[in-house]
Amino acid sequence: MNPRLLRQIGIATIVSLLAIALPWLGNEYYTGFFFTLLTWIALTESWIVISGMTGYVSLGHVVFMGLGAYVAALTWMEIPLWAILPLCGLAAGALAVVIGYPCLRVRGPYFVILTFGVSELVKFIVVNIESALSQSGRVLFAAPDINDLFFIGLGLAWASVVIALMVRDSRFGAGLRAIRENEEAAETIGISVSALKLAAFVLSAIIPGMVGALLILRSTYFDPLQIFNPQTSVLIVTMAVIGGSDRPAGPLLGVGFLVVLQELLWANLPQLYMIIVGALLIGVVIWVPGGIYGRLQRLIAVPAK
Amino acid sequence: MSSQLLIAALVAGSVYALIALGLNLVYGTMRLLNVAHGEIVMIGAYVAYWGITLLGINPIISIFIAVPFAAALGMAFYFGIFKRAMRSREFMERIEANSLLVFFGTSVILQNVASLLFTPDQRGYHYAERIVYFANAQLPINKLIVLAIAALVCIGAVVFFRVSTLGIAIKGLIQQREASALVGIPVARIDLICFCTGFGIAGLAGVLVSMTEEISPYMGFPFTITAFVIVILGGLGNVFGSLFGGLLLGVLETFGVALTAPSYRSIMIYGVFIAVLLLRPQGLFGAGKART
Repeated sequence: MNPRLLRQIGIATIVSLLAIALPWLGNEYYTGFFFTLLTWIALTESWIVISGMTGYVSLGHVVFMGLGAYVAALTWMEIPLWAILPLCGLAAGALAVVIGYPCLRVRGPYFVILTFGVSELVKFIVVNIESALSQSGRVLFAAPDINDLFFIGLGLAWASVVIALMVRDSRFGAGLRAIRENEEAAETIGISVSALKLAAFVLSAIIPGMVGALLILRSTYFDPLQIFNPQTSVLIVTMAVIGGSDRPAGPLLGVGFLVVLQELLWANLPQLYMIIVGALLIGVVIWVPGGIYGRLQRLIAVPAK
Repeated sequence: MSSQLLIAALVAGSVYALIALGLNLVYGTMRLLNVAHGEIVMIGAYVAYWGITLLGINPIISIFIAVPFAAALGMAFYFGIFKRAMRSREFMERIEANSLLVFFGTSVILQNVASLLFTPDQRGYHYAERIVYFANAQLPINKLIVLAIAALVCIGAVVFFRVSTLGIAIKGLIQQREASALVGIPVARIDLICFCTGFGIAGLAGVLVSMTEEISPYMGFPFTITAFVIVILGGLGNVFGSLFGGLLLGVLETFGVALTAPSYRSIMIYGVFIAVLLLRPQGLFGAGKART
């Protein structure tokens, strides 16, 4: 491991260890707020493994979170939590193989719109399964309290940042960036592009699957229309793009900014919040191509033809 | 019963063909997928709704308000956002994916502005609901009006692309953008014309949709998806293909829902969308590999 990577993982770990103290402040509002922040960090840092590194912009990442939530809703109280979480991650990873294998063959705008369509399709399939089982939403009883969820969320956020950092500095990450810059050339020099893209896609799906489980344990209610809401995918992309999606530190800024804004507006003016999100997405794509994190040249990279 | 379904399929198909025609103009000439297209349909629908409920304007008259309004929105978007974006080198490098994100942002903004102004509730109005009997089918007059207007505009478009110089120039642009510029076709002006016409047609389609269906701020996206499927099926810039694809999807959806259940409608739309994109991205009539 190179010194920069070690230093950055060290910082992430120290910050995480310090954050463990937060629940002992005893303020449930703050714990809840930082729990939300951590789940968005986990989602966005996972997203950049596929979309920031390869330029295959996934606008359907909510599907992995939703599937994880569904698995958790089905298995809650049947098996213990320490078994549910890996199962949710596994289910999301398996779905990523099924979706990624065909979808990663198409590029650019087609991939973007296809991931969106697939996530909507899965949403409506789950809605129909649930109505066929005559379930209108599932209530989760005896969910863990917010402090426990906070610790798991912290662990997932830490893991997502460390994975993003390690991928960035690995041969694997170099291969992914080569795909972004020029997929044909990457293939010509012997990079197995299909396998790499699929591996990145699966890697980016696992943590969101576990985040889905945490989110419904927090709300203690599973409603497919809510948990598979495509707005979540748009938010993930916007948070990453605002901060700068090319490197792991970028999304942290975008997440921090939008989660604070969300806290201020969501309860009273959710539409205004989404209007600002849309405007930020347009503004950043056109005028600040590097995101807040600056320096970046190509943030929404489509492999050159 | 089946003739009733067939006419229902024709009505749905003609509206789909119309929406796809608008999308095709923008997508065909500039190769930019306007995912906010359905939101323009939504705006057209609200123009008709407020026209009839507040001012008592007949929805057919509202067409003449909705179309210029939508076209003006197109122009504002073209000059306000698009022209600016084209100046940025980073934007142009990845123009297809970047413009998609810009259109997505636009779609989110329009949906939520509409939801903020008009509440997220479903709304509808009663218009020309008297039933007429035709070929063993019972049909409300409003559906026949929708069919007539949509068919008229689609046929008009076919003639336009065959006969008029501008229509042929647009077709040229769709097929060979660079070559068109070389032979003296004013590319930038036609881009603008297509942008505004595409938005205008979407506004018209919105008025028609509102005559027979309930409307809401979030009604647009399924239309965008459907129109995109049709454009891919029928081929880029292929107006005949659009008409054919629109009718095919209308038949598929109407009969599919009749044979299963209305709750499967969304699964069907997205299923067809994914299948088309994965299996035949070059369209029904195209050959060889499409640009992906």
